[in-house]
Amino acid sequence: MSITVRSLTKTFGTFTALDGVSLEVEKGELMALLGPSGSGKTTLLRLIAGLEFADAGTILFDGTDTTHLSARERRVGFVFQHYALFRHMTVADNVAFGLSVLPRGRRPDKAAIAARVKELLELVQLGHLAGRYPAQLSGGQRQRVALARALAIEPAVLLLDEPFGALDAQVRKELRRWLRDLHDEIHMTSVFVTHDQEEAMEVADRVVVMNHGRIEQVGTPVEIHDAPASPFVYEFLGHANKLDCRIDGREVAAGGWSAPLARVAPAAADTPAPAGASAAAVAYVRAHELELLPESRAPEAAALAVVRHLTARGGQVRVELSRRPDGAVLEAEVSRAEADALRLTPGTPVAIRPRALRLFAA
Amino acid sequence: MAAAGRVGDGPLLRRILIAVAVTGTLVFLLAPIAVIGALALGSGIGAFLDAIAQPETLHAIGLTVLTAVVVVPINVVFGICAAWAIAKFSFPGKRLLLTLIEIPFSVSPIVAGVMYIFLYGAQGLFGPWLQEAGVQVMFTVWAIFLVSLFVTCPFVARELIPLMQAQGSEEEEAALTLGASGFQTFVRVTLPNIKWALLYGAILCNARVMGEFGAVSVVSGNVRGQTNTLPLQVELLYNSYNTVGAFAAASTLAVLALLTLGAKLLLERHGHVGEALDAAPVPSTRLSLAGDRA
Repeated sequence: MSITVRSLTKTFGTFTALDGVSLEVEKGELMALLGPSGSGKTTLLRLIAGLEFADAGTILFDGTDTTHLSARERRVGFVFQHYALFRHMTVADNVAFGLSVLPRGRRPDKAAIAARVKELLELVQLGHLAGRYPAQLSGGQRQRVALARALAIEPAVLLLDEPFGALDAQVRKELRRWLRDLHDEIHMTSVFVTHDQEEAMEVADRVVVMNHGRIEQVGTPVEIHDAPASPFVYEFLGHANKLDCRIDGREVAAGGWSAPLARVAPAAADTPAPAGASAAAVAYVRAHELELLPESRAPEAAALAVVRHLTARGGQVRVELSRRPDGAVLEAEVSRAEADALRLTPGTPVAIRPRALRLFAA
Repeated sequence: MAAAGRVGDGPLLRRILIAVAVTGTLVFLLAPIAVIGALALGSGIGAFLDAIAQPETLHAIGLTVLTAVVVVPINVVFGICAAWAIAKFSFPGKRLLLTLIEIPFSVSPIVAGVMYIFLYGAQGLFGPWLQEAGVQVMFTVWAIFLVSLFVTCPFVARELIPLMQAQGSEEEEAALTLGASGFQTFVRVTLPNIKWALLYGAILCNARVMGEFGAVSVVSGNVRGQTNTLPLQVELLYNSYNTVGAFAAASTLAVLALLTLGAKLLLERHGHVGEALDAAPVPSTRLSLAGDRA
């Protein structure tokens, strides 16, 4: 089932949680709502679920208006960050709950419910724990029970609120992969909320980056990674250097370095600042787009820096640099081979030059 | 770190504190109850039973039980409503409501009785209006019910509010998304989560209703065999030098109180079993997921 959200607005007192958000979730898609706390991602999820109601805007499921339907009528599977399992019921009773509260006419008989519960617990690999109470399970197990419980009502869409937020790193990674596999298996339209960009990128088909109640960017993980749409997305995803620069005609310059716009930022070259009138701008350069050169072979238009710290990561080396003379901290990422060729150690002076950058108005 | 280094944990201090607690309990609490029993039964079991079987005393026992039967359920319903409103919703005046509910804790029961006289008595605010309607409230059992409600109003709500606040609304929300109606959610999710606190509050409320003297004595009119509850009957018998009768009635009240206490103990044990179950350590069968116990 597809979900369409149109100009949704929601305020809590004087705080605007959502500010005219529109979004299309396609059928069978696994979508991540990514953003810092207070960005409105959880509010958006709860509005889609019918646990909150919007001040303005509409929500459609498969083109049918559900804006004023209660959570009960929307048939959504909702998974809470802190599981919200019924603590006085066994795992099996928790999973059976959604079926056992159906009106008498539509309620399956006891045997059918038991069979369905068994099937769901097998799906989440917890068949052996059916008789346990939630307090007797680990966090990861509880979250999988919560998922089985949500799936029991054969929901139209599955909504997950920071599903791995309360788990530790190891379990988190495992469950992430497991959720991805599960989704590939059942292909249910799913939306999950996270503040962890790595999680969003790894699990989702598409990612929605949110900030201050608005959507900053929607795209596949690759699109978002390769072409962040705004300064916020650059900073939220991390590993990008922010440079205050000036645009002068067809040239861009920052901290002793300068280059023709056409080479480093072709998109911006179409609308150069008028010659003679220089304009301030903000540039973002991703760590792997910052080129390091030996100081001895520094080209005329490069900036100078000193290596402060090196971190090896697989085949890559992350280099923390201090730009001279102002001491601005920059981050670069080079291959092992490059790092060896440059003989990088803390204290090594180098020349730096962005290969590509993205300009935004200051 | 050595335990002896902790403040207030010396062996001597420990002994003194335990001795004070035990002696205090014996002298102030257990001794009077033993005396009541001894005096009531002092003239033999026959005299005791005769004293109880006095129609007026029997009536007082009946009225006391009736009052509890009427007041406790009303308070349970009120307590759930108030606790739900305060714990799960946010609305203007919430803190004020919480304070108002607790007024009976700080108001002397006598004052409560007098307030009701001012409201519903013949010379009271609603007096003329009630007289016109031909309704007599003061000096009837209705007055006893009313003041008992006033005095015990916070008991159930106070037990439930902190618990419901701590539990939050997530389980109810989960039930809602799973298709449960409001009633199903209440019966199958909310009620099981609060049942021990609810019963505990009801027991405290019951004990207070049965033992209430001050407020009831002001509004009941002390009509023998009609509006005398057990505590009032005890006083009445005592003042008329009927020692055996007074102590027999008192011992009956004490027995009612002890029954309540017994029920409370039983509940606490049950409640603890529940907690123990919640906290039970679990052998994790999936090693890979064993590291994330909340």
